[in-house]
Amino acid sequence: MRIGVLWNKLADPKNIPRLFAFSLGIILIIGLIVPMALNPDQLYVRPAPQEQIDEGLAIAPYDRGGEVLSQPGIINPQYPDNAASLGMITGYMSPLAQWISSISPYFGTSIYSSPGGLVDEILYYTRGFDTILESSILMMSFIIASWLSVNYTMNRKNDESEIREDVKKAISDSTKVAREVKANDAKARAKQLRRDN
Amino acid sequence: MVFIPPYVPDAFLSMYLPAIYAGLIVGFIGTMAIALKREEIHILILTDIVGLAMIFVVSAVGTDLAEALILPGLVVELAETLAISEILLTREMRKIEQNPRRNLQKTSSMFPQPFALNMEILNTAPNFIALVLIGYGIFLTGFTGGAVAGGGIVFYALSKKARGLPVLMLDGIAGVSGIAWCLWILGFLLFFVAPQYWLLSLFLAACGLLLKVASKVGLIGLLMREDFDKE
Amino acid sequence: MDFVTLGGNLLGTIPLGDIVLYLTPFNLFLFAVLLGFTLLIALSKPETQIEATMHTLNNTEVKVGPKEFKQRRFLSIICGLASAGAMITGDLFNFTLFMALVGILNIGIVSAVKQTSVLNSAFNYGLIAMMCSLPLFGGASIILAATGTLSLAVLSQMPASPMVVFGAVLMLIGILGESGVAPFFASKAEMFRTAGSPFIVIIHLSSLFIIVRAVEILLLVLW
Repeated sequence: MRIGVLWNKLADPKNIPRLFAFSLGIILIIGLIVPMALNPDQLYVRPAPQEQIDEGLAIAPYDRGGEVLSQPGIINPQYPDNAASLGMITGYMSPLAQWISSISPYFGTSIYSSPGGLVDEILYYTRGFDTILESSILMMSFIIASWLSVNYTMNRKNDESEIREDVKKAISDSTKVAREVKANDAKARAKQLRRDN
Repeated sequence: MVFIPPYVPDAFLSMYLPAIYAGLIVGFIGTMAIALKREEIHILILTDIVGLAMIFVVSAVGTDLAEALILPGLVVELAETLAISEILLTREMRKIEQNPRRNLQKTSSMFPQPFALNMEILNTAPNFIALVLIGYGIFLTGFTGGAVAGGGIVFYALSKKARGLPVLMLDGIAGVSGIAWCLWILGFLLFFVAPQYWLLSLFLAACGLLLKVASKVGLIGLLMREDFDKE
Repeated sequence: MDFVTLGGNLLGTIPLGDIVLYLTPFNLFLFAVLLGFTLLIALSKPETQIEATMHTLNNTEVKVGPKEFKQRRFLSIICGLASAGAMITGDLFNFTLFMALVGILNIGIVSAVKQTSVLNSAFNYGLIAMMCSLPLFGGASIILAATGTLSLAVLSQMPASPMVVFGAVLMLIGILGESGVAPFFASKAEMFRTAGSPFIVIIHLSSLFIIVRAVEILLLVLW
């Protein structure tokens, strides 16, 4: 094949994702022969699986020590000096969360969906900038998608006939409901009469 | 009582290789499927498999940090799917608009069509379920809470439409989202400017995120009802 | 290689928890140029294209409507700010998130156009941007697994193992795809064949600057 044909194929936007996917796949497969091992010296290390559950901690597996509002929990971030009140969020639980964790041994599994706790500390405090970027990405794609749908793909402000149909549907639905209510009323009254007699 | 070990436990060290190999292989399968497929909508769906492989690779690290990093990855994937599918829809509609008589193209294998949805639950107990979802979402706060509460709003909007009632179009709901985002940025800055007020910052962040995500998901519901039951 | 060799003397840092923004002359220069360009975009009006009409002798104007203009300007400003932020960030994962943000904004800037060819290439670029989340975030997390850190200051002091090289190669292909460098240029190059010039140019500029910064980051990690 001549190189010109190849360049022409590369200039078609339709082929690009597939070419990209192909080269990415090749690199991923090469990864299988690269020697890989997890470095044991990591940040934010967590205890072994099931360890905290076997010890019977109330908010296992996310118990990192600390007391609510008084003592910070233990975490090891990259730069402890940059976070002055480090660990306080890890130790914090809202009163409601405290109450639930006192009656249930399973609250730990959902700790990161209540204010306070380990994951909130990482997400909002020590790596809060990541989360800000992430939510900006979400916001931007919502802006793109909703702008398109409001102004173009779902815009039916000018579709008079459809609005008229919708109103018609609403009227017929409500009359149907009214008729059903009436029928039910009559049925109930008949039942009551029968019982009375 | 040792809350955190100084080094990664053996369980995670021995799990790393299987986990990352699984991720690489899943990624390989996904990318090769994309390279072989011709229909665009299929490629769009297959990219989710590649995103799944990314979650494998990130979570293989097995520390608390990895757990926190999964969330950005997941959200980015979701957000891009949302925007790009809307662009695909726009492109197909523009094509039809410019040339209504033309036959539908084979490669895209999709064309915009109305979305019909008939579920009994939309007629029977909408208000109660919406309230429960919103209440539970407020208890959860943060991303999860926002998603749950937003689900409640979506459900409310859908069920109102299903019963043929008019839905109040809330233009301001997007504004709520923006203000909540600012609240959160404020909370984040407060963390570093005034670390002693960390509790205030935490609640600013958690509630800001709750409002933001809930209003966004709710916005989907309000947008969807524009298209809902359009046959 | 460390910051001093590549970017000049460290003028200061902005510590935000684990994510530290580094201010060296090199990074500050890129940052300032992008901010200046963003300011220009915020103040300018879009261009209008004149196209020859088929089969007649008339010309048609390709204009940007007021609604479209507002959305496009907003997204371009955010895109400028995001690429400026990517210039000074000192965290590997943070940088990949900035890249993802710039990628989605690039799509957004052209999403409102009427030309189907532009929408087509935006969609195809979007597919690449979605796939890029695997090499970008996956590469960063492989480097995290190999070294135990994401901070560039610490990473620059570490020797590169084969695993770090693999992570960096994965990141590289992610960067190539996301910023639309050859051989993946076509989908991104076709995206800005439409009216509204200063806003369209930020697509180009942000990928240029990001690739410069990405080279610096890869050098920091690998050497």
